[in-house]
Amino acid sequence: MNSLIEIGLEAPLRVDSTLCSRYRSTKSECAACAVVCPVPGAVRLDDGVDNNGAAINAACVGCGACASACPNGAIRSLEDDGSLAERIHEQVQVGEVFRFACTRAQGRSDLVLPCLSRLTEALVLEPIRGGAQGVALCAPDCSGCGLRKAAPQWARTMAFSQALCASAGLGAERISSVQVQVGNAEEIRLPARTPNSRRRMFQSIAKRWKASGEAAPQDKTAEAAPPEPFREVVQRHSENPKRMNLLQVLDALPGSRTASKVVATAGLPLAQLDVDSRCVGCNVCETLCPVGALKHREESGNYSLEFDAAQCTGCRICQLACYHQAMHVREAEGLAQLFDRPVVTLISARVKKCLACGERILGDASDYCPACQVSGDRRDAIARRFFSGGL
Amino acid sequence: MAEYNPVLPREVVDRSFAKQGPKQYTLWVDLEHCIGCNACTVACKAENNTPVGVDYNKVIEIEEGDFRDASKTPNVGVTFVPMPCMHCGRPACQAACPVGAITKRKEDGIVLINKDKCIGCRYCAWACPYGAPQFNAEAKVMEKCTLCVHRTDKGLLPACVTTCPAKVRFFGELNELSTLMKERRALSVSISVGGADTKPSVKYTK
Repeated sequence: MNSLIEIGLEAPLRVDSTLCSRYRSTKSECAACAVVCPVPGAVRLDDGVDNNGAAINAACVGCGACASACPNGAIRSLEDDGSLAERIHEQVQVGEVFRFACTRAQGRSDLVLPCLSRLTEALVLEPIRGGAQGVALCAPDCSGCGLRKAAPQWARTMAFSQALCASAGLGAERISSVQVQVGNAEEIRLPARTPNSRRRMFQSIAKRWKASGEAAPQDKTAEAAPPEPFREVVQRHSENPKRMNLLQVLDALPGSRTASKVVATAGLPLAQLDVDSRCVGCNVCETLCPVGALKHREESGNYSLEFDAAQCTGCRICQLACYHQAMHVREAEGLAQLFDRPVVTLISARVKKCLACGERILGDASDYCPACQVSGDRRDAIARRFFSGGL
Repeated sequence: MAEYNPVLPREVVDRSFAKQGPKQYTLWVDLEHCIGCNACTVACKAENNTPVGVDYNKVIEIEEGDFRDASKTPNVGVTFVPMPCMHCGRPACQAACPVGAITKRKEDGIVLINKDKCIGCRYCAWACPYGAPQFNAEAKVMEKCTLCVHRTDKGLLPACVTTCPAKVRFFGELNELSTLMKERRALSVSISVGGADTKPSVKYTK
C-alpha cells in the first residue's frame, strides 16, 4: 500500500537526503525549508527514530522557496537551476536591466517565475554575468499573495546577492526590487485543507494506470535492493550543486574584486571555523559535514584538519556535533572566501597513543584517551559511592 | 523466606505493566551473595560472540577496610560489582550520539544501538558514567549490553542470568523486581554517578 501512495501523489520537488543536515545529524537545528514553505504541512522535518531528514509531500505547490532556502542544495526543483540559467542567458540583453517577475506582477518582464522565492543567488547574478546593466526583481505587495510566507526568502536572496555584487566591486545598487501592480494572471492558490484525500489518491492512481497502458502498478519494494546502511551513506560527500553554480557565476562576474564586504554570518550560507586545542581528532565533523568542506590528513605522525571555506554553507553541524566543543563558528566573515577559495588548516597536532589502551590521541595535553580518562574517574566514583554510606 | 529463583513468571510482569507507567525491563544483582566468579562475563561473551577486549558485562572489585588506623579493626572485604548497561531512564549515551543511533525502546525500556546508523565515533563511551558502550574494532561500531533482546523477545532470560552459579542475578520488570527485593528484605544500593543523574535502572542490593 505504501508504494501505491508513492505512485499516486508525488511532490514536484525532490530531496537528496544525503545533503540534508537533518538527515546527517539529529543534532542539526536546520529548518530553512520548513520556515519558508508557504503551504502548511508540505515540508515535514523528521527527527524521530527512522530519521530521513526533510521530506516534501504532495501538498507542495512547487514554488521552489525551499530549494532556494536550503543552503546545501539538497532540495531540487523539477526544472533545475541549470536550465533556468540557460533561459536567463537567452533573454539577457547587454547593457539593459533584466527584470524577474512573479506571476502576479503586471508589466514587462524577461523571466516570469511562479514566485520570486525560487531565485537563488546564482540565478540573480546570472544576468550581470551575461552583461546586463542591472537586475530588477518585480513583484507586487506580497502580503496579498497565497505564498506570502515565502516572501522573506526572496528578500534574503536579494540582500545576499547585493552583498556579493558589492564584494565583486560592482556596486550593490545594480540589484534592486521594484514594486509593481497586481496583474490579471492567475495566481497560485493553496490547495484545500485535505490534500491527501482518498478520492484524490485513487483518482490519481487510476489516471496513471490508464496512462501506463493497462499495466498494473509495479511493486517497487519487491525489486529494491536493501537500503545502504546510514554509516556508509554518511561517508560519501556529494557535491553541493547550488554552491557549484554560485561559484561558477562568481568566477565569471566582470568585476575588479577590490572591496571585500565583511558580513555577520548568522543566517547566511557561509562560515569561517576555528578549532581549539580540545580537538581529539575523532573526525566526526568531517564525516557529518554534508558538503565535504572538512578533510583530515594524517601523515608522518601529524594530524591536520583542512577546511574549504568556499564549500561551507554554515549549517553548523560540526559545531553542534563536536563532543568536546572544540569547533567554533566565527560571528563575522568577509565574503572574499567565496571568490578566493582559501583552504585553511584548522588544526595541526602530533598523533600519539594512549598509554592505557593504545587508542590514537592528539596533542600534548594528556597521555590518556578521553575514554580512559573518564573510566578511571568512573571507577573511583562508584567505589566512593559504595563506601560513603551508599545504602 | 522464598527460595532464590531467578525465573520470574511472565504473567506477573505483564500485570504490573497495566498497573503502572512505562515498562522497564532490567536486572537486579544481589551483591551480598555474588562470589565474583565472572561467569556472567563469560556467558555474555559466548552469547553475544564479542571479540577480545569487548565485554558487555565487566565485573569490578571494590575493596573495603583500612589498615592505616592501628586503633581500629581493619574490617576488610571485597565487593564484586557486575557492570552491565544500566538501561538508564535518561541515557547519557543517547544524548551524546550525534547521529541518533541510540534509542530507548518504548515497549520495554531497553537502550539499544542501531549498528546500521552507528558511525563508531565513541561519543557514547565518553558520555556513559558506567562505561557500558564498547568499541568493536572489527566492525568499527559501538556495542553494548542489550539485555539479550534476541533471547528476551522470545521469552527467554538473558544469558548472564541463566548462567549465574550463585543465582544472584534476576531479570524482570523494574516494579516487579522492587517488590521481590522488598520480600527478601534486601538493602538497595544506589549506583548513580556522574554529574547529571541518568536514572540507572539496574538494581543492586548489599
